[in-house]
Amino acid sequence: MLQDTLKNEQAIIDMKNVGIRYDQGPEILSDITIALKRGSFHFLTGKSGAGKTSLLSMMYLAQKPSRGTLNVFGKNVNFTDRDSLALLRRRIGVVFQDFRLIEHLSAFDNVALPLRVCGMNEKEIRKRVKELLQWVELDKHMLDKTSTLSGGEKQRIAIARAVISRPDILLADEPTGNVDSDIAVKLMKLLVELNKLGTTVVIATHSEKLVNDFAYPRLHLQNGGLSVVMPRESLIRGAKLYD
Amino acid sequence: MTRNDPLIARKQELPLKDNSTCLFLKVMISIAVFLFAVTLAGVLSINSMLGAWNSSILGSLTVQIMPVNHADAEKARKETLEHQDKVIAFLKTLPEAEHVVALNDSQLQDLLRPWLGDGIEMRNLPTPRLIDVRLKKDAKPDYAKLAEKLAEISPLASLDNHKLWLDKLVKFADGLKMLAMSTLVLVIAITSGAIFYTTQTNLGLHRDIIEILHIMGAKDTYVAQQYAKRDAWLGFVGGCIGLFFAVPTIFMIAGLAAQIEGGIISEARLSWFSWGLILSLPLFSSFAAMTTAYYTVKRTLEKMM
Ligand SMILES: Nc1ncnc2c1ncn2[C@@H]1O[C@H](COP(=O)(O)OP(=O)(O)O)[C@@H](O)[C@H]1O
Ligand SMILES: [Mg+2]
Repeated sequence: MLQDTLKNEQAIIDMKNVGIRYDQGPEILSDITIALKRGSFHFLTGKSGAGKTSLLSMMYLAQKPSRGTLNVFGKNVNFTDRDSLALLRRRIGVVFQDFRLIEHLSAFDNVALPLRVCGMNEKEIRKRVKELLQWVELDKHMLDKTSTLSGGEKQRIAIARAVISRPDILLADEPTGNVDSDIAVKLMKLLVELNKLGTTVVIATHSEKLVNDFAYPRLHLQNGGLSVVMPRESLIRGAKLYD
Repeated sequence: MTRNDPLIARKQELPLKDNSTCLFLKVMISIAVFLFAVTLAGVLSINSMLGAWNSSILGSLTVQIMPVNHADAEKARKETLEHQDKVIAFLKTLPEAEHVVALNDSQLQDLLRPWLGDGIEMRNLPTPRLIDVRLKKDAKPDYAKLAEKLAEISPLASLDNHKLWLDKLVKFADGLKMLAMSTLVLVIAITSGAIFYTTQTNLGLHRDIIEILHIMGAKDTYVAQQYAKRDAWLGFVGGCIGLFFAVPTIFMIAGLAAQIEGGIISEARLSWFSWGLILSLPLFSSFAAMTTAYYTVKRTLEKMM
């Protein structure tokens, strides 16, 4: 999927001195400098209100940094027109903290959304969506309005929607926050699987257990700044490597 | 399998149908198309009227010779005709005149019949004589000077100046036409304004969904198309409803106008082309509503997010 111009070792998301503030308020995040390589897997941690969602929303191009430069797929978002940004977004899968499904649509239509916005034909969409809904064990609820589904079911739909277009980047905002640990484990396995297939993954979480169970580097937000914690440290604290 | 076929269940992401906005727009567009159709019919009638006047009446003028009063009818008649001949001779020298002819007795009788009835003997009546002058194409004589000269040649002659009368009428009709045209512009402006503001409000209402669509990679046109599709339909339905009421109204007004004496208004026939134009209004309203919605969405989204 990646353009030839973007070499393997090049950062797929590249932030330099990025700051973000809402309206005239104080900066929530300051001087964030981070380069996420293609195929990498990161946790994003920090207390509630530390700015995890804000950082992710810049990565999935829902908002632009108040200062600094942000390059996604090698393109500076400040110098990219609206339609081109839309094309970039199609290569990014997002699982929102609050799911953000379209409630009046069926499970099928919600999962089909990313394919429809890029104009895929309905036959292909039907095939792909059915397959994925079976995989997340929601094919029984294919035609049900999402407003009638449970929290766990909604979450699975949100995840299905995020991966249906086989994105280059998957950004998940507390994806295990609302599900029991069984599903959480299954979900983590899915994300790890996707990562092995080449997808760059960032998971925001405040679950220490999750971070400790999987030996991936962690981006930690604190006082508006970002620090990188390598997995070695968590291993030392007795975590096991995922397999 | 059909029950399980999700394609049948497919819905548009933005819930744009079945709400009060739709009803409002439909009513709004119906009224607009109604007003537009009736006014347009007016403009087109005035146009054809002006055309008819310009081609028939503007190209001619009439000179009237008052009858000489004399106890001897035969002598009076002879003198009157002498005056008429003098005037005709003069009129024929006019460079603007193409054809000069005096109306004969039977023609005059035809004109007078409504007032005098049948069976009158023209020879015994002191009736005015009329001279019809057909002007060359685009000829514009100086009517004031002409009237002066006529008075010199014969004190009985007077210029029945169609042009002076018609000038006023044409100016009045032109004014009416301008008024009607600005009404058309106003109707379009108000309706597009209504579509603009309802669309803008609606976009704000569905901001959440639009944001999701954007993050999934939808371009602005993807959203705009959903609004454009709905408003094209509303524009068409509203247009048909408006037309449904406009057509009988136009016939009614035409019927009333036809009762006005003088046949002025009878020139105001609507041509087949005009009717075609009026009947195709729902297509125009559909197209106008569609493009207004489309560009409103694009413009608003660029500002909104
Ligand atoms: N849309 C917004 N408008 C104003 N303030 C916001 C907005 N979103 C987040 N914030 C503020 O930014 C800070 C970081 O929020 P967030 O990024 O949601 O953190 P986290 O996801 O780590 O809990 C919080 O103080 C929050 O109140
Ligand atoms: Mg958050």
